Amino acid sequence: MSGHHDLGGVRTDAPVPRAQHAILPWEMRVDALMQLLSDPQRPGGALMSVDELRRGIESLSADEYRSLGYYERWLQSLIAIMTEKGVVERAELERRFAEVERAHEREHAGGGER
Amino acid sequence: MSLKHVHDDRSAELLERAFRELLIEKGLVSDAAVDERVEFMYARTPALGARVVARAWFDSGFKARLLADGSAAVRELGIDVGALKLVVVENAPQLHNLIVCTLCSCYPRMLLGLPPDWYKSVEYRSRAVREPRAVLAEFGVSLPAGVTVRVHDSTADMRYLVLPMRPHGTAALSEDECAALVTRDAMIGTAVVVAPKV
Amino acid sequence: MTARFQLGEPVRVVDTGASGHVRTPRYIRGKRGVVERICGEFRKPEELAYGRYDGERESLYRVRFAQREVWPDYSGPADDTLDIEIYERWLERSEEGR
Repeated sequence: MSGHHDLGGVRTDAPVPRAQHAILPWEMRVDALMQLLSDPQRPGGALMSVDELRRGIESLSADEYRSLGYYERWLQSLIAIMTEKGVVERAELERRFAEVERAHEREHAGGGER
Repeated sequence: MSLKHVHDDRSAELLERAFRELLIEKGLVSDAAVDERVEFMYARTPALGARVVARAWFDSGFKARLLADGSAAVRELGIDVGALKLVVVENAPQLHNLIVCTLCSCYPRMLLGLPPDWYKSVEYRSRAVREPRAVLAEFGVSLPAGVTVRVHDSTADMRYLVLPMRPHGTAALSEDECAALVTRDAMIGTAVVVAPKV
Repeated sequence: MTARFQLGEPVRVVDTGASGHVRTPRYIRGKRGVVERICGEFRKPEELAYGRYDGERESLYRVRFAQREVWPDYSGPADDTLDIEIYERWLERSEEGR
């Protein structure tokens, strides 16, 4: 782990960017999934901790860390932790992702919204 | 489905959907629970923190309890903060506090809602600890001579809230009117509270 | 478990050599400060980060550092400070004080 998240004092050359993006529903759902999975009150106990989320984010390559958006990093981390634990299998997620992509393409075929 | 290989606007949204569908099918979460959490997050806004600040301005006993045990005091107001361990740091004429999480983006979400993008930026996380006065100047906060700047890096389980100073010119305002003046940035430390111009 | 350090005690942040998920930022390692608050006992981030939720707890301290101690080129006043939470394992008593 190269510690590219350990940012205190690292950059002093650029102003703090003030642009604010409107948070998207999928981003809110990623946050919600994290809260639900890490809730110690959930049936069977927490499936993960915020520390694991952080570790998953810190395990991204420096390039991914820089180029992915905030909740994209969260999502990658959630997937890494859940597949690491065998809660979800990578192969089944890949299959489901492919199905969801195809369904999305069908829904938006014929020059509709994009 | 590493996002870096398929990265466009839709990929993350589709991946979230695929992931969530599997979790639901496995009985680990439900759509209803996700929706409920999302609604809960939307309901968390800086107005909650502003109520706490205004109460502290109007009730010195509450303020003392707030500074001693932030979470317990906030619960007195009926605000649910869950497992949050809140530390409230008080601005004073000679002291200005600034909050940052250099390692990630720890933030008192139960009182302020979701953090702004700038709080999570590389630039803020890097510079707030190293050159806080320059960062404050960018945010339009110029401090008088003799004011100490104290930066808090949230590295562990505590979450920080700045108790800003009550501005002059607010003596005639009610507690609710005072709360309406308190901005999110004032509770992070990148702003001060200003009285309304009359 | 009793806390090893007391309020007001001068301490130095050591580098424990731990790798993986740690919560002691690089910029504060080797720096000297003063214990400002004893925060209580918490489970170790390195263990929680690997799914071990029931491990031993460790004392956590809020330590106050002079900015001029932390950054050699700090241009602000000598009284400017930086407060960080540090786990006990990362601290040793600093005999020289501040």
